[in-house]
Amino acid sequence: MTGSDALRRVLPVLLALAVTAAPLARYLPGWVVGLSAAMLLARGILLWQQRQLPPRWLVALAVAVPLVLLWLTLRTLIGREGGSALLLLLVGFKAFETFSLRDWRVLLALGFFLAATPLLFDQSPLAAGWLVLSLFSLTWAMAALHGKQPILASLRATLQALLLSLPLMLVLFVVMPRLPGPLWSIPAASATASSGLAEDMAPGSLSQLIPSNEPVFTAVFAGAAPPRRDFYWRVMLFDQFDGRRWFNAGVVDEPGGQVLGGNSVSYTLTVVPDKGRVPVLDLPGEVAEGLRERAGMVWRQPRPSDTRIRYRAGSHTGALLAEPLDASHLAYYRHLPAGNERTRALAASIRARSQGDEGYIRSLLEHFRLENFRYTLSPPLLEGGDIVDQFLFQTRQGFCEHYASAFAFLARAAGIPSRVVVGYQGGEYNPAGGYWQIRSSDAHAWVEVWLASRQSWWRVDPTAAVSPDRIEQGVEQAVPAVRAAVPILGGRPPAWIMALRQHWLAANFVWQQWVVGYDAGRQRSLFRSLGLGPEVDTAAVLKGLLLGAVLALLPLWWWWRSLPPREPLLVGWLLLAQRLRRAGVAVTSADTPAELLQRGTSLGEADREQLAALLDAYVGLRYRTREEAAPLAARRWLRGVRRFRPSARR
Amino acid sequence: MSWPRWWRALRFRSHLQAWLVRRLPPSAQWTLRHQRIYLLPTSFGWMLLGVALAIWVGALNYAVSLAYALSFWIIGLLLVSVLMAYRQLAGLTLQAGTADPVFAGEVTHFSIRLDNPSGWSRTLQGHLAGSTGRTSACQLSPHSSVWLSLPLATTQRGLLAMPALALSCDVPFGLIRAFAYVRLRQQALVYPVPQADVSGHRQGVSGEGEALSTAGDDEFSHLAAYRDGDTPRQIAWKVLARRDVLTSKRFAGAVAGGCRVLDWHDYPPGDDAESRLSRLAWRVLECEREQHCYRLRVPGAEVGPQPHQREQALALLARYGETP
Repeated sequence: MTGSDALRRVLPVLLALAVTAAPLARYLPGWVVGLSAAMLLARGILLWQQRQLPPRWLVALAVAVPLVLLWLTLRTLIGREGGSALLLLLVGFKAFETFSLRDWRVLLALGFFLAATPLLFDQSPLAAGWLVLSLFSLTWAMAALHGKQPILASLRATLQALLLSLPLMLVLFVVMPRLPGPLWSIPAASATASSGLAEDMAPGSLSQLIPSNEPVFTAVFAGAAPPRRDFYWRVMLFDQFDGRRWFNAGVVDEPGGQVLGGNSVSYTLTVVPDKGRVPVLDLPGEVAEGLRERAGMVWRQPRPSDTRIRYRAGSHTGALLAEPLDASHLAYYRHLPAGNERTRALAASIRARSQGDEGYIRSLLEHFRLENFRYTLSPPLLEGGDIVDQFLFQTRQGFCEHYASAFAFLARAAGIPSRVVVGYQGGEYNPAGGYWQIRSSDAHAWVEVWLASRQSWWRVDPTAAVSPDRIEQGVEQAVPAVRAAVPILGGRPPAWIMALRQHWLAANFVWQQWVVGYDAGRQRSLFRSLGLGPEVDTAAVLKGLLLGAVLALLPLWWWWRSLPPREPLLVGWLLLAQRLRRAGVAVTSADTPAELLQRGTSLGEADREQLAALLDAYVGLRYRTREEAAPLAARRWLRGVRRFRPSARR
Repeated sequence: MSWPRWWRALRFRSHLQAWLVRRLPPSAQWTLRHQRIYLLPTSFGWMLLGVALAIWVGALNYAVSLAYALSFWIIGLLLVSVLMAYRQLAGLTLQAGTADPVFAGEVTHFSIRLDNPSGWSRTLQGHLAGSTGRTSACQLSPHSSVWLSLPLATTQRGLLAMPALALSCDVPFGLIRAFAYVRLRQQALVYPVPQADVSGHRQGVSGEGEALSTAGDDEFSHLAAYRDGDTPRQIAWKVLARRDVLTSKRFAGAVAGGCRVLDWHDYPPGDDAESRLSRLAWRVLECEREQHCYRLRVPGAEVGPQPHQREQALALLARYGETP
């Protein structure tokens, strides 16, 4: 293809590819996107100036350079980042060896594939909007490349085709079976750049998460939700202390324990697992399908993936975890490294004046409550050794990890087995969506102590003793720095903005639940509620397709039957006769324009003049005008008829 | 668009085309209905279907819900394209026109009238089966008709029946091609190729024992349109008075030098028919050029001076030896 015709046909293709690739700029190395954009631009310029393409072998040779560079940057050419970057580079270079119509069509087909890649990174409503834009520009590029229609007609055909295929898409989306698992194994998610909880708990490891305030997971309760203070979401368990940080030594591996008492609640969680870790409400019952239980009642994915999952779970709030411990376990949960002598002395003194293990724990909580401790997001740094001593006797300012760490230490110092649980506490209820949103700012750490009298673990939250607001109302109330604020101006945003935000979040939640999260499970429950069948099997799918086809074909049928716009002269003539009849003029359907004017003598002067002008124009358009000029003038005449409202004369 | 070699080896399309054409009875007029319209994806259509399936597999594997939507939307687009392509042909009425006679080796044009009875415009292409010529594209506005002229190279004299007409279209996206084959009853007359015959044998005036010139110089033969140089004596005054048309009377043997006789038997018996016909055709053209009266004789038929003598004479030559 050559010449200006080629430019008109091919430029939309380059444009569509640029639109399609644009969202990848957020996720891929800058030079990959930049290079591809430059290639597309350069191809457009070559086309504009009608210059020769470089020889194919040169293009093939040149593509090797960025591929090596890509390997050096990402260390892979497959998977999410690698695959997308590879495809994007190939599209850029392919444009440089594209000449025939067939070549351009191959490029366009690659563009459709490229449109799918940003979805691997983001499936928000915004990404969906961009997908529609990409699809529109690619489809229009197809019509433009075909080149047999003027621009306006091709735009209309594009819009028409996309709108007509939308219901077909929706039907297939709902009905086509979803598989519960992947076809082949996906490379494990990279451990980079996650905003999740850290591998261990040292001073500052949780408080750094708070300002990011990102959504972590949502919970929908079946029936009434428990009170907010019972919202302890377990994620990780740390059972050893090395003088600075708490961590999981991985020695105790077998799950054990039995949940005693408590109020049972059932709920559904939607979460993107963080390295296979998923939250569950304290204390969980039967482990959900597809997940495993690890030591200390925390749940894990057997194979970590970073796609969003949803699972139903049941829990018992306010329950005890009964687990008999033998001597070796007791020693393990009492182990402390050397150091922090003042803390050990404090433990001994409190132990001496309290009765039994439970009494000691209560005395510890009392100590935190009364001894002027402060709950703050930015406590003074704890440097060097004996950090528990420093915290308890000097700084006395800390976040939940400081309190949990010190409390677990104090318990062990008095010979009581203890461990630290890290997860989330609280959540924000969205009344518009009927769900609880848990954010990274809800990250929390608490302690479990083992009571010999009951042979079970008991949850103790020292932060609650220091700052009851944190537990009752959330971190926003307890720490002013976290409160939502208007940028620059400061202050709390007005109520309507908060309400709007709630609705936007609720819409996002529905989107997540029903569009992004439409999986095999959702499909099964939808099929059941639609009465298509108890399972997603061949019969049910066929039934669904049939039913859907009927619905999807309705707009197609309507389009097929849609009548063309009627001829304006005819429409106007009928309208004119109707208006005259309403004004009391006896008009028959066989009247000629001259006869009509004759009958119009009963009208007022102004009306008659207007009628004469209209009829004159009509005769001109009908019998004198050349065909080419007619449509516009006829439309103008029709507008004139619409404005003509003769009044009846007494 | 070129097909891969293995595909061409299968010759699927040509087999299909031959089979479709064989089923068609010729008719003077056709209206395209669903029995006659075939729909197949183009190679671009197949390619896009492949892309949709690849996206679907990716969506399955990575559990990307929106990628399902994209894949299904592309499939929906293909389905809608099928309907859009079908709508371009459905309801179209075709009518055979006439084809101008040409000499063998020239290109004749079959004309077909396309009527669009519907309220939407159509963009389509016509192509004659077996013709290597370019396809003719045409645009039809709503409720309009258009004449499509399709070229076909001729090789042989005689009556050339119009080959099957392939109408196709792949608007708006080039994904799906709708096509229909129709056979319209239309024939083109192909004259023999004129072959120069300057041997000058027996070019003489007629009258050797034949009735023509002896029948009298003033014997009235026929009426013809007035030509410059006709004498007032020749003008048919009665016709002029009655119909106001200037007409000349033609008289057998009235032209100076008498009528030439172009005879099949002017050539030695060894000459084959085609070369005789070609040379006779040349001589007919020569006489026409010189505006010389002539009389063409082939075994079993004769064309004397008469209206449209050139066409009559050439047609006689073209159809010589045709089994009735």
